[in-house]
Amino acid sequence: MPEENFYLTKEGLERIKKEYQSLRNLKKIKSSRENILPLEGENVNPAYLSLQEDLEILERKTEELENILKNYQIIKFPPKAKQNIVDLGAKVFLEDSSGQKVKFQIVGTLEANPFLEKISNESPVGKALLGCKVGEKVDIDSPVKLEYKILKITYEES
Amino acid sequence: MKNLKEKKNKKSDKDFLKELVDFFIQIGNLKIIKRRGWLLRNVKNPESIADHSFRLALMAWILGKEKGLNTKLLLKMALVHDLCEIYAGDATPYDKILPKDKKKQKELLKKWPRFLKKDEVQVYLEKRKKEYQSLLKLISELSLKRQKEIVNLWLDVQDGFTKEGRFLRQLDKVENLLQALEYYNKDKCFPMEPWWVQVKETIDDPLLLEFIEALSQKFYKKKS
Repeated sequence: MPEENFYLTKEGLERIKKEYQSLRNLKKIKSSRENILPLEGENVNPAYLSLQEDLEILERKTEELENILKNYQIIKFPPKAKQNIVDLGAKVFLEDSSGQKVKFQIVGTLEANPFLEKISNESPVGKALLGCKVGEKVDIDSPVKLEYKILKITYEES
Repeated sequence: MKNLKEKKNKKSDKDFLKELVDFFIQIGNLKIIKRRGWLLRNVKNPESIADHSFRLALMAWILGKEKGLNTKLLLKMALVHDLCEIYAGDATPYDKILPKDKKKQKELLKKWPRFLKKDEVQVYLEKRKKEYQSLLKLISELSLKRQKEIVNLWLDVQDGFTKEGRFLRQLDKVENLLQALEYYNKDKCFPMEPWWVQVKETIDDPLLLEFIEALSQKFYKKKS
């Protein structure tokens, strides 16, 4: 998972921005309870430990999203003349080695989920499809025969 | 309010251990439940869910360290990621489309299943809901702090919220591939195509891609 540059669809970016905002709000609420003392007499206050752990999780998740929001790149469709070639954001209709039809949108690692028909541009299949045209057959390096025939390429907002 | 919490905590000391005993007894079922993907393919004495989680945890620790990830978090994620299966069962992508005819079933299991998007999304969401409810049922008697921690870890693996969550989600499939390869090694008729399709379409972590290549070299070494 390349973490340096995150490719996102507009939809993906909106989702991350929303998550980030709700985490920040939650962090504010939690932090306002920081007056809970770490020790109760000689014992560690369990409520304090619980709060600290929550804050740590929130902190970790917030940092992660901040990193994404600093290093994202919106997926832009290529000009019309080049939309016959598979690029990031393309929806590709395929026939696999077993003759089954399948459709994928090529996205960045953060949005990839084959169950939702989205595959990463860094996965072997995603990578191999990039730059291909309709009618081309793509062989995937694998111990079993894995071949995909490109039937159609479209570019449209989800 | 603070006193109330303290009182409750002190009062619940014995209950707390009793609740943990009950929780660990339920967790023990993971040692018994066999992984459904192998049962469908008639693997003799297949691994249990706990067997899978054990090796996944070791892989997460060692490979995660190579990547500079938080290994404590990865270990916890590996240990909780399949807890939901105690009540939800071990679902496979084939469950909704499996024909009763054994011959047709065998043929179907040789291929990675493809669905129409609306069916696929529905299957995915139903599975997720069922597993989430199952997890909540399992941990319902634990303290709120533990419940929150387990749910957070589980959701992180499901949604890939952090680097660790995203890595574990992919590693889960790689451990599964390794197990399939071991069964293939014992029986060359074991259908490997679905596993290769899955990893080639889902794995994009560079270290895991290299690891998969090493697995390929190991199990498909050509005799010179």
